[in-house]
Amino acid sequence: SSERLLQRGRGGSLVGWDSHLSRIFLLLLFVVSAQGLTPNPEACLVFSSVNGSSISCQPPAQIPHSLPADTIFLAVEFFNLTQLPADFLQGVPNLQELHLSSNRLEDFSPKFLLPVPQLKVLDLTRNSLTGLFPGFFRVSAALCTLVLKGNQLKFLEASWLHGLKALRHLDLSENQLHSLPPGLLENFTDLLTLDLSNNQLQTLPPDLLRGPLNLERLHLEGNRLQVLGEGLLAPQPKLRYLFLNDNRLASVAAGAFRGLQKLDMLDLSNNLLTTVPTGLWTSLGKAARNLKDGFDISNNPWICDQNLADLYRWLVANENKMFFRNHTRCAGPEALKGQTLLAAAESH
Amino acid sequence: MADAEAGKKIFIQKCAQCHTVEKGGKHKTGPNLWGLFGRKTGQAPGFSYTEANKNKGIIWGEQTLMEYLENPKKYIPGTKMIFAGLKKKSEREDLIEYLKQATSS
Repeated sequence: SSERLLQRGRGGSLVGWDSHLSRIFLLLLFVVSAQGLTPNPEACLVFSSVNGSSISCQPPAQIPHSLPADTIFLAVEFFNLTQLPADFLQGVPNLQELHLSSNRLEDFSPKFLLPVPQLKVLDLTRNSLTGLFPGFFRVSAALCTLVLKGNQLKFLEASWLHGLKALRHLDLSENQLHSLPPGLLENFTDLLTLDLSNNQLQTLPPDLLRGPLNLERLHLEGNRLQVLGEGLLAPQPKLRYLFLNDNRLASVAAGAFRGLQKLDMLDLSNNLLTTVPTGLWTSLGKAARNLKDGFDISNNPWICDQNLADLYRWLVANENKMFFRNHTRCAGPEALKGQTLLAAAESH
Repeated sequence: MADAEAGKKIFIQKCAQCHTVEKGGKHKTGPNLWGLFGRKTGQAPGFSYTEANKNKGIIWGEQTLMEYLENPKKYIPGTKMIFAGLKKKSEREDLIEYLKQATSS
């Protein structure tokens, strides 16, 4: 009743109808704007803001035939689509983010991205792409993030990625790449993260990392690399995170880590390393940040002999940063088999 | 038995590109996660969330994170977070154990 909307607060002052009413209005406004224009669960979610509309579609919603002209965010995910219409993005020139993950997209019209030159994010995770086109990204100078994780790429052409001047994050993980073309990253001066994990890479082009000025994260885990060569990391002295775990590394060149000045984390776990060449570990030890987030050399068949002297010294000084000490053990010589590397280091 | 050490590695490898955990850590592509547990979705001060995330309306805890981290885009349709999810239950448990420790004092 209206009397209850007039309450006496402390000190006898009236808490009026006005403040309750304005609270109710605010609540209604929040609910309406939160639910968007279409609270029907079989329709796409639509959110409107001063910047533009955000549209998110998943089954059982129907994919819209037309989109609001001010759409800045569009997600069409978890459908069984093998293709999208060539003019799908025709009416949304301000689009900044396009999320198309978990469909079955096999290919695109070569003109698909031409209507959206302001696109910053393109997520194509978990589709069925076997390739793209030269020039597919020719107007995509604003694209920062490109995710092609979980497709069926068996090879790459560098020309597919021409035009991506502003690219910062490139994710090519979980494909079937067995090799990479030379000059892949040549023009990617702003690239910060390169994810090539979980492919079938056996070797890497020696010039792979030439191009970016400040690469921070390099993911190579889950491939079939056998050797880490001398020059691979040389173009990226400011590299901070290096993931080489779950490969078949048996050999690391003595100068492989030479230039790395800022390495925060190094993961060499689950490889076939038995030893490290003299000098390899001292060059790591000089890194300014000195692997502050940790290192992992577990699950390698270490031969705990004199050749590990450098590594032992460093381990003892940095054991607090060592991941999985109990899984970092000697495979030989016979007398030390099964002992932890740390124990071998401490008794050296 | 959830392993926070394993969880820390998962975090560094798969989350740290976009998130920090420590108190006062900066927002990156994603929000700093300090104070996550017991907090409603979309509430880290100073981060610009999607409406989808803000409106999810659940409290972050072990169970909600287990569900979310398996398939974030299913749990929060319309999220801008690009992360396919962790299929292995043990990996999610490890990560959540690490987050429990790292995002609170």
